[in-house]
Amino acid sequence: MKLAWLRSVETAHQDCVWACTWVPPTDTSPKTLLLTGSLDETVKLWDPQELSLVRTNTGHCLGVVSVAAHPSGKIAASASMDSFVRVFDVESNVTIATLEAPPSEVWHMQFDPRGTTLAVAGGSSASVKLWDTAEWKQIGTLSIPRPEGSKASDKGNNKKFVLSVAWSPNGRQLACGSMDGSISVFDVQRAKFLHHLEGHTMPVRSLAYSPVDPRVLVSGSDDERIHMYDAEGKTLFSSMSGHSSWVLSVDVSPDGAAIASGSSDRTVKLWDPKMRAAVQTMTNHTDQVWGVKFEAAGSGARGSLLASVSDDKSISLYNYS
Amino acid sequence: MASVYIPVQNSEEEVRVALDQLPRDATDILDILKAEQAPLDLWLIIAREYFKQGKIEQFRQILEEGSSPEIDEYYADVRYERIAILNALGAYYSYLGKIETKQREKEEHFILATQYYNKASRIDMHEPSTWVGKGQLLLAKGDVDQAFAAFKIVLDGDRDNIPALLGQACVEFNRGKYSNSLEMYKRVLQVYPQCPAAVRLGIGLCRYKLGQFERAKQAFERVLQLDPENVEALVALGIVDLQSNEASGIRRAMEKMQRAFDVYPYCATALNYLANHFFFTGQHFLVEQLTETALAATTHGSTRAHSYYNLARSYHSKGDYEKAGLYYMASVKEVNKPQEFILPFYGLGQVQLKLGDFKSSLSNFEKVLDAYPENCETLKAVAHIYLQLNQTTKAHEALKKAVRIDPRDPEAFLDLGELLISTDSGAALEAFKTARNLLKKSNEEVSVELLNNIGVLHFEKGEFELAQQTFKEALGDGIWVKLIDSEPQSDDPIQKALNQPMDSSLAARMYKDMQLFQDLEKAGVAVELPWDKITTLSNLARLFEQLHKTETASLLYRLILFKFPEYVDAYLRLAAIAKARNNVPLSIELIRDALEVDDKNPDALCMLGDLELKNDDWVKAKDTFRAAKDASNGKDSYATLCLGNWNYFAAVRSEKRAPKLEATHLEKSKELYTKVLVEHPANMYAANGAGVVLAEKGQFDVAKELFTQVQEAASGSVFVQMPDVWINLAHVHFAQGNFPLAIKMYQNCLRKFYYNTDNQILLYLARTHYEAEQWQDCKKTLLKAIHLAPSNYTLRFDTGVALQKFSASTLQKTKRTVEEVRATVAELKNAVRLFSQLSAASNLQIHGFDEKKIETHVGYCKHLLEAAKVHCDAAELEDQQNKHRLELARQAAIREEESRLAEEQKKVKLEKRKQEDELKKVMQQEQHLERIKETWKSSGSKRKDRAQGDDEEGGQSEKRKRKSSGKKRRRDKKAETHMDDQDEYEEDMANTNYYEPENQVNHQVDEDDNPQDPLAAAGLEDSDFDDDAAAPSTGRRIAAWPDESDDDEPVKRQPSSSPVRENSVDMQQSDGE
Repeated sequence: MKLAWLRSVETAHQDCVWACTWVPPTDTSPKTLLLTGSLDETVKLWDPQELSLVRTNTGHCLGVVSVAAHPSGKIAASASMDSFVRVFDVESNVTIATLEAPPSEVWHMQFDPRGTTLAVAGGSSASVKLWDTAEWKQIGTLSIPRPEGSKASDKGNNKKFVLSVAWSPNGRQLACGSMDGSISVFDVQRAKFLHHLEGHTMPVRSLAYSPVDPRVLVSGSDDERIHMYDAEGKTLFSSMSGHSSWVLSVDVSPDGAAIASGSSDRTVKLWDPKMRAAVQTMTNHTDQVWGVKFEAAGSGARGSLLASVSDDKSISLYNYS
Repeated sequence: MASVYIPVQNSEEEVRVALDQLPRDATDILDILKAEQAPLDLWLIIAREYFKQGKIEQFRQILEEGSSPEIDEYYADVRYERIAILNALGAYYSYLGKIETKQREKEEHFILATQYYNKASRIDMHEPSTWVGKGQLLLAKGDVDQAFAAFKIVLDGDRDNIPALLGQACVEFNRGKYSNSLEMYKRVLQVYPQCPAAVRLGIGLCRYKLGQFERAKQAFERVLQLDPENVEALVALGIVDLQSNEASGIRRAMEKMQRAFDVYPYCATALNYLANHFFFTGQHFLVEQLTETALAATTHGSTRAHSYYNLARSYHSKGDYEKAGLYYMASVKEVNKPQEFILPFYGLGQVQLKLGDFKSSLSNFEKVLDAYPENCETLKAVAHIYLQLNQTTKAHEALKKAVRIDPRDPEAFLDLGELLISTDSGAALEAFKTARNLLKKSNEEVSVELLNNIGVLHFEKGEFELAQQTFKEALGDGIWVKLIDSEPQSDDPIQKALNQPMDSSLAARMYKDMQLFQDLEKAGVAVELPWDKITTLSNLARLFEQLHKTETASLLYRLILFKFPEYVDAYLRLAAIAKARNNVPLSIELIRDALEVDDKNPDALCMLGDLELKNDDWVKAKDTFRAAKDASNGKDSYATLCLGNWNYFAAVRSEKRAPKLEATHLEKSKELYTKVLVEHPANMYAANGAGVVLAEKGQFDVAKELFTQVQEAASGSVFVQMPDVWINLAHVHFAQGNFPLAIKMYQNCLRKFYYNTDNQILLYLARTHYEAEQWQDCKKTLLKAIHLAPSNYTLRFDTGVALQKFSASTLQKTKRTVEEVRATVAELKNAVRLFSQLSAASNLQIHGFDEKKIETHVGYCKHLLEAAKVHCDAAELEDQQNKHRLELARQAAIREEESRLAEEQKKVKLEKRKQEDELKKVMQQEQHLERIKETWKSSGSKRKDRAQGDDEEGGQSEKRKRKSSGKKRRRDKKAETHMDDQDEYEEDMANTNYYEPENQVNHQVDEDDNPQDPLAAAGLEDSDFDDDAAAPSTGRRIAAWPDESDDDEPVKRQPSSSPVRENSVDMQQSDGE
């Protein structure tokens, strides 16, 4: 289990790079592409082979905070701080839809594994908005229930501000992370809140399910910890410390054996959950690492790629094996 | 057997007297002697025979009779025999005087002896034997010089006079002229080879003194051949044997001493040596008996000194320092020159040190050093005393000397290291490392304390890897090893227990969880932790915290608490970890646990106060800080600092801005900071606090100077993290209008201390950009801040304001391009969107804005929206006009081709008019903007209810002017009955929570951004060694947002209340001896 640095693009964007995701290959474009979003209000598409720029999308105001790719690889979405979600055709950059659910802010987004629904973390609405990907209509809202006895006006409620969202690999469950450190798990089909996962005490900025075990949910938080939960059994497998600042992004490797994390401490770490410790630390970034993402499995025996993006305006690629 | 024959008077007959059959009653013989008028030499022979047989009484009787006046008369012409009898008596009394221990009797004997000798001298003052006797008497009396003179008289007459030679030898010996003495003895031996053993004893002693031990030994052995019961020779031989310093030699020596003791139980020297021996074998009872006997048997100073010394040592080793001290003192009194017998001085020094009498102790040790300047043990002891007397430089010198003299003494290096810890940790580390290497080389065990100290010093130097190794070495093997190093897929019960999933609802209370260890014990795993390893384990855990292996650290702290629930520091560290994770309830709970163990622990109290502040529990916090101050008797400057901070916050927090109250609080905080500074001039945190108060009063240059100094001092230790002083410095630069420097300072601080994660500093930075009219930077900075703190709506509001201000300034420019206007409109649209979102979001009523505020926002946003529309239209119009103009220009160009000259003038006119129209439009826009601004200002008072946060954000400073009116309104509305100032003030603070939720948010964020808080309050360990290492601190910041209307009076933002307690790691202090 190790990471090998492959290449970086130093000034990939004009400003901080805040989001990245992999766009799966399609019939017409056999290559997996990397999609990144930045404070410079652009979304860029990269060919991982040489990390060469494929296209620059404009149209967002205020920084781009999240990007998501449809499992088909044909469409993708980008969200910015002005709370618009732009859905576009990857190949042609034609805008398919502009989503807005006022007054909710937009933070992380993710398409469900089958590609029928886009889940959007809805900030202060304390909910996750679900959008139908065929009609591009909002089809549901998964709201975090208020703690019993609290009033609507209770100021404590804005701590349930939803930042992050993740689908389980089978598409049945959805988890979202909040400012107060709690993680809420929903049954999507029944649109029902299941339970909270506790343990973090500061904002949970990133969530990722293990692609091989739909029970295992990994979370990263400002409290510098990475937690590994049994999302169904409501138990905490392990709490891993090692980053010296906020954990901004986590992802689970395609084989489910490793966790990658990006942190404000400018590092990317690779974790072995069995050892409950980091096994490798990459220090090539010079500022906060806002996104780490493994390329989905299927690229053969050479292992898979990991991308990281940072406030230092750069993008880096690593080989995970 | 020999006989003497007493001639019968007036006949040829003689009376035969067998010398071995002398009658018991001397009178019988005396009668015969008198009756027969026997020659005096016969008297002498018979008296001597009595003496030899130990019949002292008879001996004296005969001699006294023989020296009586009637004999003098009768034998008037027999001079020599009469002298001989007198001299024999003189010698006898000299001897009595010599062996007599009671001073008075001794004197009496000497007087008698003197009388006899004087009488003898009167008969013939040239008789050498009398002089010899006198010399010996003087010698016995200790009058060495006169004795010398007496013997010299004899020797001048007859250089081979043996008794005189012997006497003179003795004199020379006593004078320390051993070679002279040896010469005399040798001559005696030449002149009289059959001389008694004592002569050879003298030779042996001289040779011994001259350092010729082998020949001395031969001489003593010869003495013993001649006289197997010669006590002196036995003792002397014993001493020579001891000199060999070998076990066999010592055994032989003791055998000889024993024999000497058997022969003559009152030989003080033998007694001393025996006592010495039994001291080492630990038979203290025997030591006391022997030395007491020795003391009774001798008046000889140095022997008595030895005896006292033995006795003192015996008590010393038994721990009876009072008695030991007394006997050492007695011993010291017997010693004339410390050089001769230094040991009791050393012992006395030690005992006095133990009893805390440093001054006397020091003077005794210094005496030792006078005699033996290179004695390492003494140097170490002296160093220790200097240290106790706070004379570190001298202590340092002494230890350095000790180390130089004996570079192989691990203890000296240990002491040196300990001395240097507080002053020069680098050198201390070197010393400790040398000590460790020396110990390792000599295969001695390296103590846990030493390794702990080395580890801590590495830790302090930031050499974490080495520190970890050293701590682990110190800890050795134990359950912690498995807690630290996890292996995957292990069947080990500890690993299994660690991998046990935990219900997530319990996860928040993880740092109190002891289940793991209970389970382990149930599973039969022994959870052991030796007490001497707690400190090191705790330090290791602290190191893990530093390395961000916080979970491992928490495991170790919990292990400590599982075995030692009274270990307060572990609670506090866990509380600090919980606090760093924002888990305030758990943190408070852990501190309460700590307070249950020790309810007066100042650190725990300070930390509790800090948390109460975090919970906005002002009054409670103040009480807690006061309790902390009281608990430490005001000695803990940290508690004082906390109170100072509290007062400062109270001063600037008071929203009413009651000048009187503010001044009082400021004055009080200044007083408290000054107090700390007086006690600890190097306290950076107090200096920082003082700087803040100065800045508050507008004395920016002084404040800047202070901050700069603190900043310099703060860089250098891994434990001192003072971002606040950077921020304060930046604030001062800002307040003085030096924006570029302020920006640089904020950025550096963010990067250096916060990994760029602090949205509060980003806000300061944005504000500076704003003031410097760097709109794009301002916007980007605010967006970054929102990205970091998405739920902080103040930041969104500020962004809107920044965009608006940017647009306004662009529109106000006299010259601008269409592109600029377009960008401006785009930004304005963004601003509108932001404001409307904000208004809508607050409509949801989940942010705690009250109705009033929402309305204000909505109204304000509507205004902006309208404004934006106008701008937008204007821009579009302009754009169209521009297009139109271009079209016209194109047509004109075509026309120009047709009729250039004719049309030219007309075209120019047309252009002119169009431009004028445009200009008018622009003017209208500007006027409109001004109107908007006016509305905005007037609505400011209403909005003022909003958080203080508003005040900080860029662009809103105009509102400050109306602050007070806003306040009044609010209070009126609340219809508060009038209370006195203080109550009102507190009421205000209490209400703050409810009425100003944003403030709450801000405050909290503000608190979060102090990463040193984890280190705070608890202190890693409370060192019992030096307080200096623990540097309490006031982490605080000022935020100077100068009022636009009055630049001289900066408004400080609520500074975060994060006084930081520095960690000092435990240093074990070794005993000074």
